[in-house]
Amino acid sequence: MTDAPLAQDAVVRGSVYRDPGLFQRELERIWYRVWVYVGHESEVPKPGDFVRRQIGLQPVIMVRGNDDKVRVFYNRCRHRANLVCFAERGVAKSIVCPYHGWTYANTGELVAPTFDDGYDYDLEKERFGLTPLPRQDSYRGLVFASVAAEGQSLAEHLGGVTEFLDLFMDLSPEGEIAVDAGEQKVVYRGNWKYMPENSMEGDYHGPFIHGVAFDLYAKRTGFDVTALATDEVPDVIRSLPGGHMVEDYRGAPMDPPKRQPSAARLEYIAKLKARHGEAKAAAMLSTMAPLLYVFPNLMYVITHLRVVQPVSVDRTHSYYFPVMLKGAPAEINEARLSDHEFMFGSAGFVSPDDVEIMERNQVGMQARGDDRLYIGRGMHRERSMPDGGRSGMTRDETHLRGFWRHYVSLMEDGE
Amino acid sequence: MSEQAAVEAFLFREARLMDEMDYSGWLALWDKDGVYQVPIGAGGEPGKVSIVNDDYPRIEQRVARLKSGSVLAVEGARGAMRRVVSNIEILSHREDKCEVGSNFILGVARTAEQQLWIGRSVHALRRAGEDFRIARKTVFLINSERELPLLQFII
Repeated sequence: MTDAPLAQDAVVRGSVYRDPGLFQRELERIWYRVWVYVGHESEVPKPGDFVRRQIGLQPVIMVRGNDDKVRVFYNRCRHRANLVCFAERGVAKSIVCPYHGWTYANTGELVAPTFDDGYDYDLEKERFGLTPLPRQDSYRGLVFASVAAEGQSLAEHLGGVTEFLDLFMDLSPEGEIAVDAGEQKVVYRGNWKYMPENSMEGDYHGPFIHGVAFDLYAKRTGFDVTALATDEVPDVIRSLPGGHMVEDYRGAPMDPPKRQPSAARLEYIAKLKARHGEAKAAAMLSTMAPLLYVFPNLMYVITHLRVVQPVSVDRTHSYYFPVMLKGAPAEINEARLSDHEFMFGSAGFVSPDDVEIMERNQVGMQARGDDRLYIGRGMHRERSMPDGGRSGMTRDETHLRGFWRHYVSLMEDGE
Repeated sequence: MSEQAAVEAFLFREARLMDEMDYSGWLALWDKDGVYQVPIGAGGEPGKVSIVNDDYPRIEQRVARLKSGSVLAVEGARGAMRRVVSNIEILSHREDKCEVGSNFILGVARTAEQQLWIGRSVHALRRAGEDFRIARKTVFLINSERELPLLQFII
């Protein structure tokens, strides 16, 4: 599969952000069809641990069973469809529906209905377990599930994006991340698609909306992130087959910070070198890990995994899960968390600028006239890549075109 | 003036400075090693992310950013927020410090959808002559564990 642009690829219709009918169609054609990120296994480290999540508008739970296996179930009692889990997260030996007390093992089987002498037929318990999502799989602890019984394997869906997932996970000296620092939750009045689009093109909009925050960050840490975009560099912007997007900074080294590295930083650098070798570790440390978007709902942005959750055509939730690096000195993870709080969440200094823009975008989109959005930057110079994707320069919109080509292919096929 | 009255007057002044976006005036209420936090849930668990977790240099940065005039989410906010601070109790008292609990209701009318922010503040105040300085302020929002709109003002 390749991902080559067509002439009309530089144009998006405003209705895709605005039309409730298209939102319903997205649920069926996208959210209830493709692999959707649910959570990370480290969020449920012990048997019985569970978290509540959503796939599209459907409530699910991710739970680690007593057999240590992580499963995803619909959050719906098999009796009369009540939510079996109300808490956002917790630990449960068994999962008991609050309505009529039907009880399930944390591996999903129905342990006992209640007052079952009253059922006038032989209630086959094995037919009434919690309903698992028909397809579930994981990549390095990232758990995905699909509402559709049939479709691509997770490996096919992820395709070349695993190269970039590996790059940020390898920042851990043990090659393992921990998503155990809680989460910030944000709501905005705008369409869900602004979130991946905006999150992956910060080099273009950054100077216009994040100037103050970037200045403050450079003063605080010695890292000037604007340096990443001073010169436009080829192949920073990547679209991958499957609608994934990447900002790959490997070709854009940052100036080393002016101040001396701390003892913790030196220890961290030594650990990375021990694991990856001098050359790879030096390359990893020379710039920012790639920003990436796994279609349709998962992002990795600087410090965190970000999940976009549609609510309605013009209302969206966004979840920010700081990513901790297993095996890194405590000070390194504390600094990551502190950087995260500086930049992200409702009261952060960076992402609120984006959210404000998304809300204004939804209002601007009500004005028609010419209802086309233009995403043509770098159209004339984008290149095919060996992974089947396309690449562009630092501020090009190549990846947005790839996202929309995939979106259109899902929304239109099979008619 | 009684201790209770002095504390109330201080919190009312802080509320007015926040409502009127007098960021410099608000910053001047702080100790130079003050800590300003808005946790998610009960807070206090190490290693967990907060909504706000500012040491004094970051409080200064927060104020500098809000004052800069180029934060989009501040545009049009002047005059658009008012809060009521009530249920003010001195929770503990030790030498020149006291801990004060209070509740607030804040309305923000910057955007089409008027927002209501409700929470509890716990201030650690230090006596500074006739006045106080804030050594620590922790704000517990009743919806801190829910999806929040932008919090691009002082709460």
